[in-house]
Order: sequence, then C-alpha cells, then structure tokens
Amino acid sequence: MKLQHNLGGLEGLDPINTETQVFVEPWEQRIFGIHTAMMALSNHLGDSLPDYAIEAVPTEFKSFWTWGHLRMGAEGMHPFDYFRLRYYEKWLGGISGFFISEGYITQEELDARTAELLADSEKAAAPLPSGGAAEIDAQVLKYLQEGDSPKRPLPEPPKFSVGDRVRVKNVSPGDHSRLPGHLKGYTAEVVLVYEGAFTYFFPTEDGIGVPMPVYSLAFKNEEIWPASLTEPNALYYNDIFEVYLEAV
Amino acid sequence: MPSNYPGFEYGADRETVSAAKVKALESLLIEKGVITGDTVNSILGYFETEMGPFNGAKLVARAWVDPEFKARLLADCNAACEEMDFPEGMSGAEGEHMRIVENTPEVHNIIVCTLCSCYPWPTLGLPPYWFKDPTFRARVVREPRKVLSEFGVALDDSVEVRVWDSSAQIRWWVLPMRPAGTEGMSEAALAALLTPEAMMGVATVQV
Repeated sequence: MKLQHNLGGLEGLDPINTETQVFVEPWEQRIFGIHTAMMALSNHLGDSLPDYAIEAVPTEFKSFWTWGHLRMGAEGMHPFDYFRLRYYEKWLGGISGFFISEGYITQEELDARTAELLADSEKAAAPLPSGGAAEIDAQVLKYLQEGDSPKRPLPEPPKFSVGDRVRVKNVSPGDHSRLPGHLKGYTAEVVLVYEGAFTYFFPTEDGIGVPMPVYSLAFKNEEIWPASLTEPNALYYNDIFEVYLEAV
Repeated sequence: MPSNYPGFEYGADRETVSAAKVKALESLLIEKGVITGDTVNSILGYFETEMGPFNGAKLVARAWVDPEFKARLLADCNAACEEMDFPEGMSGAEGEHMRIVENTPEVHNIIVCTLCSCYPWPTLGLPPYWFKDPTFRARVVREPRKVLSEFGVALDDSVEVRVWDSSAQIRWWVLPMRPAGTEGMSEAALAALLTPEAMMGVATVQV
C-alpha cells in the first residue's frame, strides 16, 4: 500500500494553503516546460491519436515519456519525501533521474554543471544556450494543440449500466495505478457510462492500459468515512476504469 | 515560501539549489539536441497567451447570457468550444475530453485530483499551487465544507456538495453561478469577473 494512492480523507493535516500562483518560484517553470516537451517528443506518439510523424522530428529524445511515467515516479517515492517535497521538486528529481538512467546525461556532468552555476553568480544569471532545430518546437506546439487522446472504440459492451451498484475491487496497485486506494471495497452507483473506451499510456500491473469502459461513480461520504468525520449533504464522484469494478 | 509541512526541515539554499539544478539540466538538454533553446519559453508562452483561464471565463460568460449555449456547453464542452473564436488547440493536450458541471442554488461542485493534479488545460490553463498540494487533495473529499470555509466560502447545509475526482481521463471544471447585480453587463465584462478558483468551485464570483 502506498500513501500516495490513499490521500483521500487523511486526518491531522494543516489548514489549506490557498496560494493561487501556478509557479511559486521561477525555476519551477523550467521543469514544467521540460516535462511538457518530453511528453510532446515521446516515441509513442507515432502510434497515438492523432498519430504524429514523431520519427521525423530531429530531436535526440528517443524515449517513452508520459504523465504515467511522471506519476509512477512520484508514486514510487518514500511517502515522507512525497509530502516533504513541493510538487515541482518531485518533478525535478524524477525527470533528472530519468535522463540519467536513459543515458542522455550522466550524474557527474549534471552535478558538475550544477556546482558551476552555484559557484558563479554570473554564470547562474547568464542566458541558456540558444539554437536547435525549429522542427522540435513545431512538434511541441502540435502536441499541445492536438493532444494524445486515450479514447478508443469499445472492444465489447460495458458490463455496467447507469443506476447499477458496483464495488471497487481490492486490487494491488503495483508501481502505478489510477485507482484511489481510499475507495477500495466501497460500493457506489453508476451515474454515467462514458461513450467509447479509454486506454492508458501503458499497461499497468493492476490492469489498465487496454481500451475499456470508464464510469462516473457517485459515492456517499458516510459510506467511506465514519459519520463523525464526514459532513452533511455531500457526494463524492469518481471516474473509474471498468477493470477496477465488480458487480455487487 | 509555501510549505504546509513545518515538521520537515529545509536548507536555506533550497531554491538556489533547485534553480541551479534545473538550469544545469536544461542547458545540457539543449546542448545535446534533446530540446532547443526556445522550447521551454515557447511552452510557457503558449499557456500565457493561448490556453488559460481566460478561455474558460469566455465560455462561462457566454453560458450566462445564452441559455441555449449553456445547455450545449453542459452537454459537450469540447463541441461548445468549437463555437467560440478560440485559438487552435481547445481539444489538445489535457483537454481531449472535458466536462463542466453547473453550480446552482441547490448544488455546489468542486474539482480535485486525489492521485495527482489532472486539470483541463485549454479552459483553465495550469493548476494553482493549492490544487496540487496534498493537503487540499486529501481533505476536500471528506470535509469539503470545511475546506471551502478556509477559502472564505460559506455554504448552507441545505446545498448539496459534489466533489469530482479526476481519476481517469475526463477533465472536469465548474460553471459558477452568475452573481446578482450583473444584469445588462457585456460578455467581456462578465468574463473579467471570473477567476480560476471560481471555475474550480472554491470561490464564488464577486462583482
């Protein structure tokens, strides 16, 4: 069990930090941009919807990188680190590690470059290198505009219908899951069967990654958490892949 | 610097070190031909000028003045976007399958992603800090009224609260209630009243 999958309902936390900025430090913008570029240049986009001419893009990036990979890294962290580090600090660690493990850079050169920038404020303030193939940036823009839809034709009719009661299975999440752990074992009503089927970036140990129906489920808070911890007149809706559900 | 977790200790050079690490990484990636010297800036520019909460604000304002458009927006958000004079990309990255839910005097909606930070990029842009913070994600599903009160929104017990958790690939957002005193305002003036927080369900629209 991972804390990261089981956040819903956790007690003992602080008041909400209502900071509305997207980036609370300028450097956070840079790692967001790097991650987005990686998704836009990922090698799976030759087989996606739409299918991009990704092999023709003159980037040295030849890897498979999606939201799923970023999330898997965050879910694999020590749970205390998950809370200790800010959102983009987690991204910086995960993405740097990926570029090293895939052989694009070495830990030594990243450390040396970082030390150089920390030691010399002029270098730290200097502009980044310029240049590069314009086709790379054209592909990034195309990805932003056209996306990477997970929607596919239904392989077979949905097992459940609107109004059915279903139970969330107690599946083991493995390295990566799209099932909130705090829902396991609880029942809910199907309020919507989404049109079509939805796949995921890659197959996970818990069974998503092939086209399947997705349902909007309505949970009653008092059925998940003790009455003393819930509030009146509240419903909790969740979009759940069919493989995570069983008939009641 | 926002940190909800005073139990953890951070070095005084926390941000300086991260800034150096990310600059080292980006400069190496440019030198090695992974990205260009313009890639990150062009992505950031896209969210400043093309895809952001200004698009969602225009959709909400149109829905407030045109009930038939509102019905189409609630039925099919992506199709309704096609009716607007928007830049290309409203069904692009993180907007492939969007849905909007309507706040009424009887029902108040809030969006969350308890597993990460899923968010409708074309209509709302990039998510604010609080939405990504584990504290909000953990608390709002069990005690939404208390969380709303911390945002300064008081909700009567008679109003049903619906919290929408984006665990699959539908990206949710909220059509807030039009405030009193805005009769006769232009669509542009109405759009200027909207904030990302109002379109996520943690604020009401103020005149």
